[in-house]
Amino acid sequence: MKLPSLNRLPGNGKRAPLALDDHIGESRRAQWGADKWLIAGSLLLGTNAAGIFGLPLFLWGLQKLRLASRAGLSVRPIMVTLIGYLVIVDAGLNMQGWILDLMASHTLIYRVLYTAWGNAFDMGYFWHYNQLWIGGASAPGEKSWELALILVVFPMRIAAAIAFLQMRRWGYQWLIVTCWFGVVIWVGYVMNMTVFADLRYTGTVFPVIGWWIYDIVFITPFLAIPYLHTVNRETFSE
Amino acid sequence: MNERDRQRRRALIAFQIFIYGYLLIQFGIQLSMWATRSW
Repeated sequence: MKLPSLNRLPGNGKRAPLALDDHIGESRRAQWGADKWLIAGSLLLGTNAAGIFGLPLFLWGLQKLRLASRAGLSVRPIMVTLIGYLVIVDAGLNMQGWILDLMASHTLIYRVLYTAWGNAFDMGYFWHYNQLWIGGASAPGEKSWELALILVVFPMRIAAAIAFLQMRRWGYQWLIVTCWFGVVIWVGYVMNMTVFADLRYTGTVFPVIGWWIYDIVFITPFLAIPYLHTVNRETFSE
Repeated sequence: MNERDRQRRRALIAFQIFIYGYLLIQFGIQLSMWATRSW
């Protein structure tokens, strides 16, 4: 992370007071101590199946960061941490899920998991599964969304979020750009869902409400936009 | 808070009303379809 270089040598060649060096060193250690837990938690959260085990690790990392901040150490702000990691988890989950639907849809585990999920919430992942020339889901338009988002949006989003967590200016700027991509995705995807609602909801166990409850958690891009547009951009180094 | 900040905040409120309103309308359309079909 790019912390302010407060320990640089002053003009007369003497070292800055030791206490400041100690403060910076301790801040770095506290930041990395929290980040280890946050990274481990995010990786597990991003696996879908083991996600529930990632949550306590993630919360523990957040707590460590909060305590360090309270103790007066120079660590990353909680809001930046939350937005950065959650964007990575959100993009990672979506990318992994759709890559598997595109490339691994004939494996036994995904034929079971995806059609079971489809049967509950979205028949685009049930009827005629694996009958197109590419991938599993047969819902109209679904493959176009999968390809566009896997190739363009999600990798950009993850790269931007990593730089954002490192408090770099380009990460902050690109996170804004990709959050607006998120708006485009949701406006388009939900419209597609409504247009083909007859295909996608007929015969589902939980029509309409089930899909919305499942998908509403991926709405994070909207929540981050007001913060990103009002935070002081000088906080992020060039 | 200067004039620019005030404008920015107003734009963000308008944006949120638009985006959540849009989602709510789509949800409403799907609910009304569900009410008239045998899903």
